[in-house]
Amino acid sequence: MIVYKTYMKIVKKNAGLILMYLAIFFGVTMIFQAAVSGDDNPNYQAESVRLQVVDDDGGVLAEGLKDYLGGIHEVSVVENNTAKLQEDLFYRNTEYIVRIPSDFFENCIQNEKPLKVTKIPGAYTAFYVDQQINSFLNNARCYSEAGFTESETAEAIADIRHPEVKMLDDTGNAGEMPAYAYYFRYLPYLLLSVFCYVMGNIFSAFRREDVRKRLNASAVPAIRQNVEGFLAVLTLGVGLWGLVALAGMIMYRSSFLESEAMPWYLLNSVMLLLVTLSLSYLVGIFVKNTEMLSGIVNTISLGTCFLCGVFVPLEIMNKSVVKVAQFLPVYWYEKANDLLVDFGAAGGEVGNTIIQSIGIQFAFAAAILLAGLTASKVRREG
Amino acid sequence: MIQIENLVKRYGDLLALDHLNLRVDEGEIYGLLGPNGSGKTTAISCLLSLLKYDKGSIRIFGEEMRPDNYKIKQQIGIVLQNVAVFDELTVYENIDCFCGLYVKNKEERRRLVDEAVEFVGLEGYTKMRPKKLSGGLLRRLNIACGIAHKPRLIIMDEPTVAVDPQSRNRILEGIQELNRQGSTIIYTSHYMEEVEQICTKIAIIDHGRKIAEGTKEELKQMIKTGETVTIEAVMLNEEQLQMIKELPHVFDISYESQTLTVRCTTAKHNLIRILDTLKKQETVFGRVYSELPTLNDVFLEITGKQLRD
Repeated sequence: MIVYKTYMKIVKKNAGLILMYLAIFFGVTMIFQAAVSGDDNPNYQAESVRLQVVDDDGGVLAEGLKDYLGGIHEVSVVENNTAKLQEDLFYRNTEYIVRIPSDFFENCIQNEKPLKVTKIPGAYTAFYVDQQINSFLNNARCYSEAGFTESETAEAIADIRHPEVKMLDDTGNAGEMPAYAYYFRYLPYLLLSVFCYVMGNIFSAFRREDVRKRLNASAVPAIRQNVEGFLAVLTLGVGLWGLVALAGMIMYRSSFLESEAMPWYLLNSVMLLLVTLSLSYLVGIFVKNTEMLSGIVNTISLGTCFLCGVFVPLEIMNKSVVKVAQFLPVYWYEKANDLLVDFGAAGGEVGNTIIQSIGIQFAFAAAILLAGLTASKVRREG
Repeated sequence: MIQIENLVKRYGDLLALDHLNLRVDEGEIYGLLGPNGSGKTTAISCLLSLLKYDKGSIRIFGEEMRPDNYKIKQQIGIVLQNVAVFDELTVYENIDCFCGLYVKNKEERRRLVDEAVEFVGLEGYTKMRPKKLSGGLLRRLNIACGIAHKPRLIIMDEPTVAVDPQSRNRILEGIQELNRQGSTIIYTSHYMEEVEQICTKIAIIDHGRKIAEGTKEELKQMIKTGETVTIEAVMLNEEQLQMIKELPHVFDISYESQTLTVRCTTAKHNLIRILDTLKKQETVFGRVYSELPTLNDVFLEITGKQLRD
């Protein structure tokens, strides 16, 4: 097993580099996870507006409107003092003023006169309030048409204004992206960097013309050398993958272990492992020195990761970039990952797409390996 | 021990080996001498089954050499022209790795590696990586990697290229020592001095063909030149040159940059006869040299060109 041992010795010499990439991987994962999955997510929080109400009516429906708006916005009831109101609006002490006229029910609901409002011109928040007030008035008009009195209308609207929403939670993540999904999203960077660099280094060392001659002239059959080399690659691959899988299980414990999607995440990452191993073999054939290897590895790992949705999610990427990315295996890894995040271990069409994405990665791995073997043969015979 | 018959190797239109015949006996240091591109390395590559050849046969230890004849390969050590080691491993690890291709037993391997380290004088460098070694030390490491398993046959392809004189002498002494310990050695080089110094039998090859073979003495006897006399002389005219050319045993003269070179066949008193002739002509002359023929003379006379052309 001398060839195997030599491979492993060279791997050992690269241990520092492997640890560095592991540290970068875990660091980047943690940072992105903390940055993206925080509690305050302004994109999905209802906008709260400072709103003033001048209530000239004082009836139950006017109260209902104030309660309704108060449930969403910061509502303050003020005197009907035009100068003061204009000043508040000018200094942005308020963004929206609603004037509830006397005989509100008769004028605005039964006779459908518009409600007087004053707002900051062009403010997008004002449109939200407009819509909410219109919604309230429309509901009230419907009840009024149906013969409801003012108090009955106010009561009926109060009952419907907080409808209970029951979310269909397929993934068990309450609509949130699970923390381990970030971990698996950044995995291609780790695998591409470590394997292309370390294995590329080893493959190129063994492919050096004179070393190759010495090995071929030796008493160890070529097939045995290849088998031992393959075993060494497998050892590193399985070792690193096992480490990553184990670290994921330890870090995310039950949320990952109890997830139905866990085997799919792992299967997807195994396919990615095969892709990176075959890619590192191909890289090793063309590399002549460490500097060249460094350049190639950085181009492949960073380029692929930026193009294929590792660092930037696919859904916010330019469509033409995504089309180009489809010709790269990491795109299919990320696609399968994204589907697992959205739908979990779903069956049906989604399940088929996940399997298809994993299959495409396998095809990429086989094609790259074939290209590597062909290139190797051409070089040997040339 | 080695018998190569009618070996032909072509690279497209280029005929690299042209019906090459060689025979190496056990215990020899067999020198393959020839200029760059003469086919030495190609012959070695064919011998080791690293290259497919078009025609001919190679037998080593009485058996046909094939890429899968590991019984033969087990007994061969190779030292290649370029240093063939792993930059990532230390000196010791490199020797251990290449020795491990032949010797499985760990204890035995440790002993052999230690002996190889001592043999090439790398005791103080075992933990260093190859990149930290000088050119000479690297060559020694290259040799240690090829000979650590104590092979019966060692093939060395220009092992002293780009090596300082001190390291070169040490390497050449080492090769002779390996031979004394029982290894048969095939040594290729384009440095005739090295081949003259260590080889017990020499084959001169050019354009993929063996043009002469024998001991150095036998090779020198094959040619007309027995002695080359060189004299620094001022202003020699045509008449004087003709007189020298007509002396007995002189077969070629040249006069360039006030230096007269006279080539004579083997005979007594060649130098005295030439100097007497010059004195009679009252010719002023300075330094005088008389040299026995070299392998370069052999190559020059057979091919009409210098070995280092």
